[in-house]
Amino acid sequence: MTLVWVIYDIVKNKTRSKVVKICKDAGLYRVQKSVFLGDINSNSRDSVILEIESIIDPEADSVYIFPMDKATFEGITLLGQAFDKKYVSDEIITRFF
Amino acid sequence: MDLVINTWGSFLKKKGNLFLIKTKEGSNEIAADKINTILITGSAGISSDAVELALSKNIDIVFLDKYGNPYGRVWHSKFGSTNLIRRIQIEAGRNRIGTELSKEWMNEKINNQIGFIKYLKKNRPKTGEIFDDAISFMSSFPDKINALSGTPDEIRGTVMGYEGSCSKKYFEVLSTVMTDTWKFNGRSRNPAKDGFNCLLNYGYGMLYSVVEKSCIISGLDPFAGFLHVDNYNKMSFVFDLIEKYRIFIDVPVVFLFTKKMVSEDYFDEIPGGLYLNADGKKAMIAAINQSLEEKISYSGKNMMKKNIIRADCHNIANRLLKYENEVLG
Repeated sequence: MTLVWVIYDIVKNKTRSKVVKICKDAGLYRVQKSVFLGDINSNSRDSVILEIESIIDPEADSVYIFPMDKATFEGITLLGQAFDKKYVSDEIITRFF
Repeated sequence: MDLVINTWGSFLKKKGNLFLIKTKEGSNEIAADKINTILITGSAGISSDAVELALSKNIDIVFLDKYGNPYGRVWHSKFGSTNLIRRIQIEAGRNRIGTELSKEWMNEKINNQIGFIKYLKKNRPKTGEIFDDAISFMSSFPDKINALSGTPDEIRGTVMGYEGSCSKKYFEVLSTVMTDTWKFNGRSRNPAKDGFNCLLNYGYGMLYSVVEKSCIISGLDPFAGFLHVDNYNKMSFVFDLIEKYRIFIDVPVVFLFTKKMVSEDYFDEIPGGLYLNADGKKAMIAAINQSLEEKISYSGKNMMKKNIIRADCHNIANRLLKYENEVLG
């Protein structure tokens, strides 16, 4: 399992919403306003990187993409309004609506 | 993950590469890449765009009735594999190949049942006799089945008879391990007369859907069976094959009861029996999915139960292909 964090600071609203869409479509979960996290395969991760790279303004915007292994993820401390660790790491195998 | 739409009046739509699920409580987005199967168990709406998205990602949409039986499935209009497999399969149903495979599966089922009884016996030394009697009774059947010869048509009645006696014994024993509230008297379906049968039927319905999907993917025809003949005089291959996987449902269902995880609130009474309500379905579907994702040893590898079903189907398809010359001459 490799989790991927996508953290960004993007100036233009239009670019930002495109980045949001790219992350969501790839199956990443929005854990904070400008932070996405999820367990996606390396192909999806590469395409996320390429797609984001093609739309951002390298002079003004910044996007960080971190991989994180399972052991490190287990050691995360969450305070306050925390996200569901089981959910972002795809341990939930059935969802009901 | 599996997406289960269980709430009355929910709606499933497409939004980009996402599924948008609207319920009274609000809307949720889930990426299509995260989903394996969409199960619809109650009244729900689904847009054609959502269907298209699902099919383009090889996600099948399965509709289950209130007993858990899949009454329909949306699957793209292509076969998983070559039509040759299906031609051989249909012919195999009339000759020794069909007989061989059916005997093999039936025996595997009986051995699975015996194995489970042996497991239950271990923790219940006081009532060991009941288990021993059942084991010695059931152990005689695999040889009897192996001794049969003829086409599937000719052996059908006898095999089903053996299977029936074996299962009757098996469920008698299972009933003895249940707490007094949940003891049951034999199998019942449509409707189930008791909680145990209710969960079991629902689980078998879900399993049917998993086996059917694996058949389609490997190019096997779910309807061209060897042993089972259903009411409409079509042979059902899924019912032949499902026999050896029933244990994947039996075990978690028995454990749900013995670990006291089943509540009386899970069931609604209907004329002549019980059926599983929304809470019950939720508990049941989660338990079964959990169980199907468990890894067990399979030909030297650790493999998830649901992947074993798929691997088996591919093996059957490959075995059938080897018989091409013999069957189609």
